[in-house]
Amino acid sequence: MSDIVERMQAVFRDVFDDEGLVLRDDLTAADVENWDSLTHINLIVGIEREFKVKFTTAEVGSLHNAGDLKALVQKKLGASG
Amino acid sequence: MSFTDFSFLVFIAAIAILCRLCPRQSRSLLLLGASYLFYLTWSARGAVLLAVVTGLTFAAGMGIERARKSQTHAWLTPLAIILLAGYLLAFKIALLGPSRGIAGLVMPLGISYTTFKLISYVLDVHWGKMDASMRLADFAAYVAFFPQILAGPIQRPGDYFSQLPPVPARTADALPRIAWGLVKKLLIADNLAPAVNYVYAHLTALHGAPLWVGFYLFPLQMYADFSGLTDIAIGTGRLFGITGPENFNRPFTATSIGDFWRRWHMSLTNWLADYVFMPLRMATRTAGNLGLAFSISVNMIAIGLWHGLTWSYLAFGVVHSLYLTVDAFTSRARAKFFKRRRKWDSAASWMGWLLTFHLVTIGLVFFRAAHISDALWLLGHLFSGLGASGALFWALVESAGARTLAIGLAGYAVLELGERYRPDLWLGRISQGQRGVRWSVWGGVTVLLIFALALLLAHSGTPRSPFLYEIY
Repeated sequence: MSDIVERMQAVFRDVFDDEGLVLRDDLTAADVENWDSLTHINLIVGIEREFKVKFTTAEVGSLHNAGDLKALVQKKLGASG
Repeated sequence: MSFTDFSFLVFIAAIAILCRLCPRQSRSLLLLGASYLFYLTWSARGAVLLAVVTGLTFAAGMGIERARKSQTHAWLTPLAIILLAGYLLAFKIALLGPSRGIAGLVMPLGISYTTFKLISYVLDVHWGKMDASMRLADFAAYVAFFPQILAGPIQRPGDYFSQLPPVPARTADALPRIAWGLVKKLLIADNLAPAVNYVYAHLTALHGAPLWVGFYLFPLQMYADFSGLTDIAIGTGRLFGITGPENFNRPFTATSIGDFWRRWHMSLTNWLADYVFMPLRMATRTAGNLGLAFSISVNMIAIGLWHGLTWSYLAFGVVHSLYLTVDAFTSRARAKFFKRRRKWDSAASWMGWLLTFHLVTIGLVFFRAAHISDALWLLGHLFSGLGASGALFWALVESAGARTLAIGLAGYAVLELGERYRPDLWLGRISQGQRGVRWSVWGGVTVLLIFALALLLAHSGTPRSPFLYEIY
C-alpha cells in the first residue's frame, strides 16, 4: 500500500470512526455508513490537513469516489512538489 | 391535466405506444413534444416562458463550457446562477401579493423544479462534472420532462442524459408503480385529508384529542400523497425509458434527524447538499462549529423557503436547522457513547425513532399551518382540556367520516407493511419461476391495476383534490 493510500485510509478511519475501513479506489458514500454531506466535508478537511493541501469547491464537487480523491491529492502534491 | 385525471392515463398510454414505434434517435423529440403538449394543458404562456429560459440556459451552458476550457469569462456562471435564482425568486415574491403580480399573468408550472434542474446543469458544466449538451431537443426535453414537472423528482442532468436515447422499460416494470402511486393518493392520502383539513380549518375552536388527530395524521397524509405522486412520476418516466431518482426511503423509520433527511424528499435534499450546503461548507470549513451551524441553517431555511416565501415555511426551515445543528454537534459523541454500550443499541434505536418521528411531526405542523400562530395554537393546546375533548373528537370523526378515516388508516398500515416487506421484489423473483406461479403473480398485478383504474374512475366524478406538492 502506498504512503498516500495509507495516510488517506487513516483519515477515513478517523472521520467515519471505523477501524476496519479499507480504502479502495471505487469506494463511494454508498459503501460507508455515516458518509453524508456533513461528514464529507470533515473528510475533505481531514485530507487537506493531513497532506497540507487546499481543494477548491469545483474540485470537491467533481469527485465521484475515493479514487478521484486520491488522484486529486496526487495532483496537488505533484504540483506543490 | 393532472396525474389523477383519467385523460392523463390515456395520454401516457398514447405516448408510450408512440415511443415504442418511433426510432430511438427521435424519442427525445417525441418526449419534448409530449412534455410541451402536457404543459399547454396548464398554461400556454408558461410554456413559452419555459422555452425561452431553456434556450437561454442552453446557450449559457455552451458558453460556460468554453469558458471552463479556456479559463476565461469566469463571470458567466455567476451571472447565469443569479439570473436563474432571480427568475425563481421573482415568481415566489409575486405570489405573495394579492394580485399575484407577474405570477397572475404567467405562472410557469413546476417552476421550483425546472429552475433547480437548470441551476444544476449550469453548475455541473462549470465544475466539469459533465460537458454541455450539444442537442437542444435533448436538453429541452430534460428540463420539461412532463412526468417530473408537477412535483419532481429533481433529476440531475448527467443522470438523465446517460439514459439517452431512451429505451422504454417493460410495461410490467412501470404500470404497477403508477397503480401503487394512484392507490396511495386516492385511497390513503385523500381519505386522511378530510380529518386533517377539518382540524386545521377549526384550530382555534379545538383543544385536546382532535388536535392530536391533526398532529399525527398530517405526516401520514403528506407522505402518502407526495410519495404517491413520486411513484406515478417514476413509473411514467420508466414507460418512456427515463428512470428518475427515488425521493423516499421509508422516512418514518429514521432514528435521527440526519437520518430522516437522508430518507425524505431525497432528490431535493441531495440537490441542496451538493449545490448549497457543500459550497457553503467549503467556504466556512475553517470556521469550526460556527461555520457548520451557519451552513446547516442556510441549507434548511432554503429548503423551507423553496416551498414558498411564507413565515410558516421559514419557521419549518428554522426548526429543522436547530434540530440538525444539535444532531450534527452531538453525533460523534453519541456514536462513541453507544459504541461502548452495545446492550443499549436496541433501546437507543427505539428512543431515537420515537424522538425523531415526534420532532419531524412538530416541524410539519409549521409546514401545514397557514400561519405560525396556528401552529403554535395546535402545539400549545394538545394537552389543554384533554379529558374534556371527547365531544370535539367525535365531531371531527363525524365531519371527516368514520369510514373514510378508517379506510385511510388501514390503507396507511398496508403502505408501511408493503414498504417494509416489499412484496413487489419477491413477486418479481417468483414470477421468473414456473409458468403457473408467474401467471398467478401477473393475475395479482392485473387486479391491482384494475383496482387503481376503478379508483380513478370513481374519483373522476368528485371534485379534484390536488396533490400537496403540485403547487411548487
